[in-house]
Amino acid sequence: MALRLSRQGDRALSIKLDTISKNFGGFTALGNINLEIEPGEFLALLGPSGSGKTTLLRIIAGLEFPDTGRVYYDGDDITDLKVADRGVGFVFQHYALFRHMTVADNVAFGLTVRKRRDRPAKSVIQARVQELLDLVQLGHLGKRYPAQLSGGQRQRVALARALAVEPRLLLLDEPFGALDARVRKDLRRWLRELHDSVGLTSIFVTHDQDEALELADRVVVMDHGVIEQIDTPQKIYDEPASAFVFDFVGESNQVAVTIAGGEARLFDRTLPLPAGTTLPGDGPARLFFRPHDAEIVADDKAGLAATVTLTRPNSGSIRVEGKLDGLDRLVEIDVPVEGAPQVGERIIVRPTRVKLYAGRAEA
Amino acid sequence: MTATATAGHIPPGHRMRRPCFRAPSIIPGFGLTFGLSLTWLCLIVLIPLSAVFIKTAGMGWDHFSSVALSERAIAAYRLSFGASLGAAFINAVFGLMIAWILVRYDFVGKRVVNALVDLPFALPTAVAGIAFTSLYADNGWIGQYLEPLGIKVAFTQFGVVITLVFIGLPFVVRSVEPVLADIGKDVEEASASLGATRAQTFRRVILPAILPALLTGFALAFARGVGEYGSVIFIAGNMPYETEIAPLLIITQLEQYDYAGATAIATVMLIASFSLLLLINLLQAWSRRRTVD
Repeated sequence: MALRLSRQGDRALSIKLDTISKNFGGFTALGNINLEIEPGEFLALLGPSGSGKTTLLRIIAGLEFPDTGRVYYDGDDITDLKVADRGVGFVFQHYALFRHMTVADNVAFGLTVRKRRDRPAKSVIQARVQELLDLVQLGHLGKRYPAQLSGGQRQRVALARALAVEPRLLLLDEPFGALDARVRKDLRRWLRELHDSVGLTSIFVTHDQDEALELADRVVVMDHGVIEQIDTPQKIYDEPASAFVFDFVGESNQVAVTIAGGEARLFDRTLPLPAGTTLPGDGPARLFFRPHDAEIVADDKAGLAATVTLTRPNSGSIRVEGKLDGLDRLVEIDVPVEGAPQVGERIIVRPTRVKLYAGRAEA
Repeated sequence: MTATATAGHIPPGHRMRRPCFRAPSIIPGFGLTFGLSLTWLCLIVLIPLSAVFIKTAGMGWDHFSSVALSERAIAAYRLSFGASLGAAFINAVFGLMIAWILVRYDFVGKRVVNALVDLPFALPTAVAGIAFTSLYADNGWIGQYLEPLGIKVAFTQFGVVITLVFIGLPFVVRSVEPVLADIGKDVEEASASLGATRAQTFRRVILPAILPALLTGFALAFARGVGEYGSVIFIAGNMPYETEIAPLLIITQLEQYDYAGATAIATVMLIASFSLLLLINLLQAWSRRRTVD
């Protein structure tokens, strides 16, 4: 049994979730989730805490069972199969290493618990453990105990341990959550490379939008137990499907307006909108735009009036923060360094690209 | 480097820091608290124990062996240590189970179970002994059903073991509980996700992690059992060679005003207990070394 770490793409798993729901007591953790995941895909489950993303991951793993709905691996219904029989790799947020075992024994665990007839010979296990430790760049630390490693190293051991059983699906629960920013960034890039070289299907849970947008092929944005949007990172950012997604992913400005007669109105006055903006039906609506999708204009009929409260450099441009006239809300925009306004100055902000969603903002 | 260079220039009267038997600490009061602790330990533990040895040393070998190494005494040691070891084993198994349900599950009446565990600490041992005796006697609530099956508990060695199980129960539960609670659920889930069965998870992941604590509980329960007197004498029946425990033999000597004889038996028990506890401690150190933390 040779280890095929290089390209297992043909082995990657496809997953289908069919109307999954799950309640804890009276709390709806998941409501009617439908999701299909392609083999070899790198998928992010993104959402705030309590959005049900971890519960969904645990149901896919078999650590939790849905109240209703079915889970399919490659078309086979495995809903009732226990985690031990599913052959998935799971990486826990707090590593969950076996602290009385050496790093090498931790990695070997999945192989040594196999039934005797499926268990590789000792020398084969040893070689595979070494190969995996080399892969996660910890080849020289096999004899150490987990307590003697740093957080980033422990997470890599956890990853090697999960990969040892040659899973066709790798599930990661907030894999970088407990690490500091620097290590997190390094590990992120490294995980993406690993996914591409091993070629399995990977799903990870995160509440960090940067992480999701940077790593994943597709992002599933969740809130309150339902899926808000499934799309590529680019589409999630450029075309958020709902006010929640716009608000949660990336920086945004929000203004409550009223739609009437095909126009957006604010304080009984028509707010000019960029050409090509789609309007929701009549009634209250929320107008969103990104800080970099706005400019300062002279015509006070062309935009939102505001008083500058703060300016600071923001990678190549100036971030201007202002208080909107008559609204208890701040607006943030990015403007070129030349001609940036001063604090206290009155400006007119004209969004160049907006999205409008029907409904009122939540308190 | 600089230290060696300047070593010759230390002004007279400025002595080099002498080697100290404690590591430097910023918490003040070491001298006072250490001195008081030592005095206290001497008064409470060391002096009384050495008195036992001194008293014993004063008697001749013949007297010593006739009392402390008599056939009757050896039978008593065998019962005391055997029953205590057996009870400690039983407690290790069932105490672990109780700790397990207390840590892992939420159920109605959990607080009551929790309180029940401590009861053997609180109950006067004589009360426990009398209760057990009346329950397990031939006509007792439980004894009457065991009698037809040919199982006799009261006034047998079996009865001694049962009483010692009762006395030692809290030690194992309370030693294991915090350690078990400390093992995250995610560690067990990790084991399962790697394909381990429940049995493999228990044997290879949970047991090694709680082994030091389990051994501590075992040692405490054992030590308590060896010294137990109050509850056992009621249920044991105290027949020489049969159901007579070593502490009772000591009392018997005292009642005959043979103080040296009493300390002689105590000395043998002390040495045996100490050796066993030392062995358990070594075992613990060994298992702890494998879980560097």
